[in-house]
Amino acid sequence: MQNALICGAVISIVCGIVSVFVVLRRTGFAAHALGHMSLTGAAGAALLGLPSFFGQIILNTIASIVMGLMGEKVKKNDQAIGVVLTFVLGLGTYFLFLFQNNYAGSVMGILLGNIFAVSNTQIYQLIGIGISVVVIMAIIARPLIFTTLDPVVAGSKGVSGKLLSVIFFVLLACTVSMACQIVGVLLVFVLLIIPGAIGTQWGESIYSIIGFSVVSALFSVVTAIFVSYHFDLPVSFCITMILCMAYFVGVCYRFFISKK
Amino acid sequence: MIVCKDLVLGYDKNPITPKFNLTIEDNQWIGIIGKNGAGKSTFLKSVLGVLPTISGELSILGDYAGLNNKQISYIPQEREINLADRMSGYSLVMSSYNGWLLGLPFISKKLRSQVDELINLVGASGYAHQPFVTLSGGQKKRIYLAQALINKPKLLLLDEPLADLDPHAKQHFIEALQKIHEHQNLGLMIISHDMHEIACHLDAFIHFSGNGVHYCATIECVKEDSYVGI
Repeated sequence: MQNALICGAVISIVCGIVSVFVVLRRTGFAAHALGHMSLTGAAGAALLGLPSFFGQIILNTIASIVMGLMGEKVKKNDQAIGVVLTFVLGLGTYFLFLFQNNYAGSVMGILLGNIFAVSNTQIYQLIGIGISVVVIMAIIARPLIFTTLDPVVAGSKGVSGKLLSVIFFVLLACTVSMACQIVGVLLVFVLLIIPGAIGTQWGESIYSIIGFSVVSALFSVVTAIFVSYHFDLPVSFCITMILCMAYFVGVCYRFFISKK
Repeated sequence: MIVCKDLVLGYDKNPITPKFNLTIEDNQWIGIIGKNGAGKSTFLKSVLGVLPTISGELSILGDYAGLNNKQISYIPQEREINLADRMSGYSLVMSSYNGWLLGLPFISKKLRSQVDELINLVGASGYAHQPFVTLSGGQKKRIYLAQALINKPKLLLLDEPLADLDPHAKQHFIEALQKIHEHQNLGLMIISHDMHEIACHLDAFIHFSGNGVHYCATIECVKEDSYVGI
């Protein structure tokens, strides 16, 4: 339980920050694709007898560099991402088929995540990667915000949108690989989209949007861990329900109250 | 100063202008006139170094094009703004301040007062804190002007800023430009199909036509082109 809470807190803080940029840069499909590609990375690593996290982070990093090099085109290139995603998922299904014959229980772990099974070594890895992602985000914050909000004018000022895009996608790949430990590859999307979406519902500046996003991610993950522990429910299910409800509250507030 | 020497502009090695020479002094306000496809927007993009020139030399503020962009501000004709629903024009201006530097953006009192001053100068103080998505086209254009000025540029490039504006909004925008001309020490190059509405505030014109690219100190010399309509 203690390990799960530490791990959940680290992952939700990182996801809360990164998801704001996923939402504002409109790269939701690319993030979704990275999440699903994790399946192939994890299954491939397991086949080779390596930790699944290792496979996820390697495959996601390669895919993220390709996506990052597409720069602004990544938003308009759903077809290319879709084709690559399908190909990689096809491979993943085959790996899973081979893998399933030996370790049937672990397949569910990859698909749905299992935060209660996180070891001390994994926690150190997650904390290390989490701190690295946050520190790099802080270093590139100013140009990242500028290119996110106004890419054409940022480009005219000599800010390299493509370089920032590559760095951002690599950080996103690390975040996806981390988040898969809790929510699994099927629902990793939830921690990369909904906290950012909640942030944009309430925040008026980039800092307040990140603040709302981090708080919503942290609240949902910690609450879900407690609920899951006491009522024996899947953590990913609880996180999804809490975040979706919080988003729905925001929609209702804007529709019924702020319009008055 | 902008110096064009035997310059040819174009896309993908396809020239769209004949060879031309031009010298534009510092702090001049220049109107760029010509038919669609004559090379006006291409010229601004070449000044920024975003688009390579076909041949010749282009020197901007004493350096090659693209090396001095921190001192140039550009308001493009079309742009993608990714502000969240509740973010204001004020946030957009703030986020553009030294947007190329590394580190976290720090909002000091001094920066706030600078932004407030610019917002007042362009006449946007009434709605600068409103959500940006709720603003009209004319209001957004004045926010873009404040954004363009936040980094204290030496040269301001405006590509069709009056397009899609109703007469009332055009008038407000031109008044904002006039105030900038009075209070700020900077050069300006503006492309507009409504040059007759702004010509009185400009020092000279660059005319892009089939016969070449010409610098005109007065409006008279570009009047010959029926398209200009001054």
